[in-house]
Amino acid sequence: MTDLVVDAQRVGKVFGDGEDRVEALSEITLRIEAGEFISLIGPSGCGKSTLLRLVGDLTSPTSGELTINGKPPARARTDRDYGIVFQKATLLDWRTVTKNVELPLEIMGVDDRDQVASRMLELVQLADFADHYPWQLSGGMQQRVAIARALTFNPSLLLMDEPFGALDEMTRELMQQEVLRIWAETGTTVVFVTHSIPEAVFLSTRVAVMSPRPGRISEVIDIGLSQPRDVDTRESRQYYDKVTQVREALRRQEAQE
Amino acid sequence: MEEARTDAHVGGARLSARSRRTLSVAGVVLTLLLLWELYKLVWSALGWTHPVRPDDVVMPHTWDMIIELFRPVRRGGALLIVDLAGRSLWTLREAVLGFLIGGVLGFGIGVWFVRSRLAERAFMPYVVASQTVPILAIAPMVVVWGLGLGVPGWISVAIIAAYLTFFPVAINTLRGLRSPDPHTLELMRSYAAAPNDVLWKLQVPSALPYIFTALKVTATASIVGALVGELPVGFQSGLGRALLSFSQQFAVQSKKLYGTVIVCAAVGILLVGGVSLLERRLVPQRFAEGEATA
Repeated sequence: MTDLVVDAQRVGKVFGDGEDRVEALSEITLRIEAGEFISLIGPSGCGKSTLLRLVGDLTSPTSGELTINGKPPARARTDRDYGIVFQKATLLDWRTVTKNVELPLEIMGVDDRDQVASRMLELVQLADFADHYPWQLSGGMQQRVAIARALTFNPSLLLMDEPFGALDEMTRELMQQEVLRIWAETGTTVVFVTHSIPEAVFLSTRVAVMSPRPGRISEVIDIGLSQPRDVDTRESRQYYDKVTQVREALRRQEAQE
Repeated sequence: MEEARTDAHVGGARLSARSRRTLSVAGVVLTLLLLWELYKLVWSALGWTHPVRPDDVVMPHTWDMIIELFRPVRRGGALLIVDLAGRSLWTLREAVLGFLIGGVLGFGIGVWFVRSRLAERAFMPYVVASQTVPILAIAPMVVVWGLGLGVPGWISVAIIAAYLTFFPVAINTLRGLRSPDPHTLELMRSYAAAPNDVLWKLQVPSALPYIFTALKVTATASIVGALVGELPVGFQSGLGRALLSFSQQFAVQSKKLYGTVIVCAAVGILLVGGVSLLERRLVPQRFAEGEATA
């Protein structure tokens, strides 16, 4: 099992203690293999972002076992196994697009940064905007720069926390297509947090449906739509069936409350 | 506003931003001069003496203040403006050194506090308390201690100027270093960035606009510090001395005092201008393009 990227065994996360004790995640068991595209979906407060942050070593579990590429998350972080994209692009205003993409490489002391950066900008189709500043770009373009920046150092795991949540529907669908293309080209494993059912189904190989109080994974649904996916996929019968399946899984847990 | 509109009409878009600024500055100065002269005219005509007597001692004509600058300080001496220019250089040297010391010290304190909550909690009260002590009270002490240690007087004055400079710089640096989006810090964490990389590649660039705001405020404060600091030193060379002696002769020499005040203001504007110039070089003008086309 060398190609297991994420291995979570009965992972839990509790914030605070005493009166303020909140159990954010409980008994999370999830295994993600290399090359998978997994979406975490669920209502607000189900802990999907917290789970992503645990995987990315932005916070630590309070119980259970979590390994990334067979290592503790902190080790995986210092090995630079993670590329992260947030809902906000969080680009540095005083740096051009190229310089933003080069930032991780600068910190890691990598040479030939401009070449890597221009290759990444080709990948996200922003080569013409290399010398622009972030504020001169649209929201979708900024998010593409953020994706390029996350991929410059070839992380084995790409973590995306509602990356298209702030974009309009049209841009959103375009970006989903882009992400699938980039995923196919780079072969990176992706963990993707979203609260959009169609988005989760369109992008993922598997969808983990989560429920709140405490956050749990209630169901993992294999999507199994053929690759590559495109506009036709969105209009196919199988796609529609999978969207329905995820929606019903989400409604089942609502009914249980 | 009126000037701005006509100017935008006449000039190109790029030219107008600068000349608009020049025109508005000139407009303000001209308006103030007019108000001064109008007050004199009306109050003299009606014989009013409140709140200020409009006579030529208390309120000399604006042009007389300027003309006074081009008269000898005393019979056979140098022109007032030449004398004041020499003094300005002296005071500017103290102020600039104090400004630099205070700026570096303030920046250092900001960095130290942002890295150590403990240090911030332990020392912030003293930093704040230091600013409640009136400068007039500590200035003579600094000078006396300095002389005891063999420190040249002008350096003691610079230290007094630094005392006024470091606080706003420290507070603004601290605020600026804390200004980046928490997600950006998390990104740096995910790159396993060293603390120094986080500081120089993220926090300091984010803090620059905050730091420059403080530097512009303290550029003038450092001049005030130098002027005040000069008084207890008792040297004859600076602008502070000139202010003191001319104010003692106000009843007969009021125009000289006004002239000196004008020169002090000019020195302050010079220093702030220098800081602004540096700011324009170091801080990317994020909205510069938007401004030019607006």
